[in-house]
Amino acid sequence: MQASAIKHKRQPVNRYPHWPIHLALLTISFCMLLPFYWVLKTSLTGENIFSYPPSLLPVNPQPFYYVDVWYFIPFARFLANSVIVSGLSIAANVLFNAMAAYALTKHFKGRGLIITLLLSCMMIPFQTTIVPAYLITGKLGLLNTYLGMALPTFSTIVCIFVYKASFEAVPKSLIDAARIDGLSELQIILKIMVPLSTSAVATNVILSFIWSWNNFLWPLIIVRDPLMQPLPLGLSRFLNDHENTTGALYAFCIMVLVPGITIFLMAQKEFVRGLTSGATKG
Amino acid sequence: MEDHQIIHTDQTTDNNAWALLRHRFVLLPLAVGAVVAVWNVYVATHDDGIVRGRVVSANGQPVADAIVKLNEQNFTTNSERGQTTTRADGSFEFTDNRSHSIQLRAEKLGVGRSELMPFRLYFRAQNLTLGQPLLLQPARP
Amino acid sequence: MATDVLTSVAQNPSRNPPGKSGGAGMSRKRKRELILVWAFLLPSLAVFFLYRVLPLLWNAVLSFQDFSLFGETKWAGISHYQDMMEDEVFWTSLWNTLIYMASAPVGIVLALAISLMVNSNVRGKNIYRTIVFLSYPLMTVAVGIIWRWMLDEKVGLFNFILRSLHIIDHPLPFLQSFELALPSVLLANVWQILGFYMIILLAGLQNIPQNLYEAAAIDGANGRQQFFRITLPLLRPSIFLAFVIGIMTSFTSFDLVYVMTQGGPGNSSELLVTYIYKAAFVLGKIDYAAALTLVQFVLLVVLTWVGNRLSGGDAGAVETD
Repeated sequence: MQASAIKHKRQPVNRYPHWPIHLALLTISFCMLLPFYWVLKTSLTGENIFSYPPSLLPVNPQPFYYVDVWYFIPFARFLANSVIVSGLSIAANVLFNAMAAYALTKHFKGRGLIITLLLSCMMIPFQTTIVPAYLITGKLGLLNTYLGMALPTFSTIVCIFVYKASFEAVPKSLIDAARIDGLSELQIILKIMVPLSTSAVATNVILSFIWSWNNFLWPLIIVRDPLMQPLPLGLSRFLNDHENTTGALYAFCIMVLVPGITIFLMAQKEFVRGLTSGATKG
Repeated sequence: MEDHQIIHTDQTTDNNAWALLRHRFVLLPLAVGAVVAVWNVYVATHDDGIVRGRVVSANGQPVADAIVKLNEQNFTTNSERGQTTTRADGSFEFTDNRSHSIQLRAEKLGVGRSELMPFRLYFRAQNLTLGQPLLLQPARP
Repeated sequence: MATDVLTSVAQNPSRNPPGKSGGAGMSRKRKRELILVWAFLLPSLAVFFLYRVLPLLWNAVLSFQDFSLFGETKWAGISHYQDMMEDEVFWTSLWNTLIYMASAPVGIVLALAISLMVNSNVRGKNIYRTIVFLSYPLMTVAVGIIWRWMLDEKVGLFNFILRSLHIIDHPLPFLQSFELALPSVLLANVWQILGFYMIILLAGLQNIPQNLYEAAAIDGANGRQQFFRITLPLLRPSIFLAFVIGIMTSFTSFDLVYVMTQGGPGNSSELLVTYIYKAAFVLGKIDYAAALTLVQFVLLVVLTWVGNRLSGGDAGAVETD
């Protein structure tokens, strides 16, 4: 459960006392955690929504705002929507990116062109395509659907290159041996390439999870049906309807954050490595 | 990652199963699932929508034939969902509450009316027995 | 794991068709491989074509048209671009986007300090790293709501602290004021992205060979000299990488502003993407939004190019082979 994936090397001898560093880091940690605490406190008491000054510690904490969110907002439905869209996106990502990356390890005519194309596609951020992307999705009849929400994230160029680097590190002799033994190309990918590239797979899963789970702009554009909203959209629409007149907003906020934080804390090492390699390759 | 490798290279199937079970990505969903299951069983046995209570007058005597109204409270709306009258011993019972956020008020002509008492429940239609009776206050002139 | 693979290969001897590598079969095999390559590339390429290339081209076409969902689409020449030149909101949003990019240098300086501290051998450094990094992978919409609440005018924690310390007499309407709305969003953005910069810089720091410091210490260089002569120069690629990514994400930022201020009050915190969104999906001016998008894209390409030139081509570069 380290925050860093990189092995620790010997440190330079430190001649300074440690307490100023601890003091600075504690202050920073306090600033980073304070907003979480404040929202958690409000979601459990709701006491300072209309009253000033606020109390710093929770007074009479009660879970009823969470009960409100569960029943008044179809929270379970939103959660299911988010899980389905992210699941689709992650599955398609792992499959398609691995396939494309495997193809790129082969030598064929037009390979250089494809790589150039991918590299220049990487320069087109999704935010600069929203208008036609909306029209295209409409023409495909995918507005208000899970597939429509997930489709643009079905393949990511950064991850293709992460896979490619990982596949190229697989010893060629191993693949040749497998081929002599009669394994088909698909079997080679599934039985040799992917098991030897677990860290690339983990990177891909985590990056596509973060992107699809937190995606907001795209569902905002294509989802009008209240029952099809994923969590971020549901949260933002709730904010539009109620502003900050109820502690349920903050309970909703906490309920939305908990799955993400849990997954992050469980796979912290993979998160850090995934984001670092995603950034350095991209 | 190391955990995965343990799973792959361990030869005995017995150890494999245990290692897989102890893996945090298996353990946590299982634990969450268990809690959810227990909670659902509890909810299923306690959600008959029964609300019981008593109505007393200002001097502590039970009040018969008082009208008790049950309101449902939403984020923005508050609507009446049912009413009942108290028995001779001042007790009353609703059996069809479907909400988790209700308000009760008792009233009897000539005796007075109680305050609008909010009750928050942990889940929809949770059975509720009021700890304090509803107190009828004489109407102010 | 490699042994695993070998055993599984060895277990399938029956699948070995004889004479597969014959000379005559080569071209057919080669052909099959080619088909396979393109079949494998197809899904990804289709997605990129549908949601990257085609939108970019269509965007360019749209920006010269009078688009209507139901009626006839006519050519409009450069009228949208002429409108844009006179559109004050466009210039405001462009200017705001440039200001918003300041979150990159601010965040990187902070993150550099933090990563130097958590790279030392203080106790509990992993916990500190986790705490700083925690806010980055979170849902930006939720982060926006958290910060709306922190910065609330009447009962927000910021106003409470500032008033308790007697720094201000009257509560500041952070998100409702023309001057403070954008800096407030920027603050929330720095809070969220700090952890990301930290892990990038930390990875860079840990790639610096320790013997350089040992040699410098033997030569009598003090901590400050070590920082400016060794750490900073060797960390330059990482800093540039963080900077380029930070600039790009600020330039295409949407969620935080949408949730926290909706671009308001007035247009004082409008960013390019929020303005494009509003133009296309609130005001229904799809064609005008396409023109705005094209301008944004061109600016982005210029920015990337400048960034790559400045960094000597080593920021965001992928080894192509």
